[in-house]
Amino acid sequence: MSTTDVHKAVQEAVVGALGVTEDEAGPDATLMDDLGAESIDLLDILFRIERSTGVKIAASDLGDYIQGGIPDDRFSDDNEIITQEGMDHLKTIMPQIDEGLLGTLDAEHVIMHFTVQNLGDMVAQRAGAGAGA
Amino acid sequence: MQEPDLRIRVGLDVVGVERVARLASEHLARFDTVFTRAELDYCAGKRRRDEHLAARFAAKEAVLKAIGTGLRRRMQWTDVEVVRERNGRPGVRLHGEVAEEARRRGVGRIEISLSHAAGLAIAGAIAVAGA
Repeated sequence: MSTTDVHKAVQEAVVGALGVTEDEAGPDATLMDDLGAESIDLLDILFRIERSTGVKIAASDLGDYIQGGIPDDRFSDDNEIITQEGMDHLKTIMPQIDEGLLGTLDAEHVIMHFTVQNLGDMVAQRAGAGAGA
Repeated sequence: MQEPDLRIRVGLDVVGVERVARLASEHLARFDTVFTRAELDYCAGKRRRDEHLAARFAAKEAVLKAIGTGLRRRMQWTDVEVVRERNGRPGVRLHGEVAEEARRRGVGRIEISLSHAAGLAIAGAIAVAGA
């Protein structure tokens, strides 16, 4: 499955689970903030992606992907605010993140900025589809 | 251990029963990643299975909110298990990474309450700080 196919499958999963249009589920739409996805909707999306692509992703994998293996105490400070190291990592997987949020972005709220494109990139990475576009 | 902000913390969540019913109709085989075997067996024996599943999903969310964390790192939905206490009231048992996070945050005990009406399942959780 090519990267393009993976992104198409992800968009179809979002459309099917949330009942939104393809236009609404564009690459830049944030799943939770723009499209109103809740935890149970994320489950639905991930189950649909698994069925269409064969890529299994647990809900907790989203958090692991976002944190990128950086230990908790380096990803965010004692007040759960993203550190510079955490922000540097986020810019690699969520390039749309506004660096102006440094110093105020709560680790728990990073998921609110996660877009359809970001999810597609994650699934493509898991599928090993990077070379197929 | 991180000091708790308060002696108690509350979490609430509401889930549409129809939403869970639709998910069950399409992905029941994957529900073992969300509910424990005991939870699935308990709900399967109920006439209104989807209401009980929805209430348990709401409880998992409410418990995480009461602990003060989202589902992240290696946490699994099955780490929060709704059980029946001897007196028939619902209780909660924590496992794995969620149990570890609760301990780190100084949570000693969690009480939950479940209800469903008008197509909605509602759960409340109170986390009590303790040793």
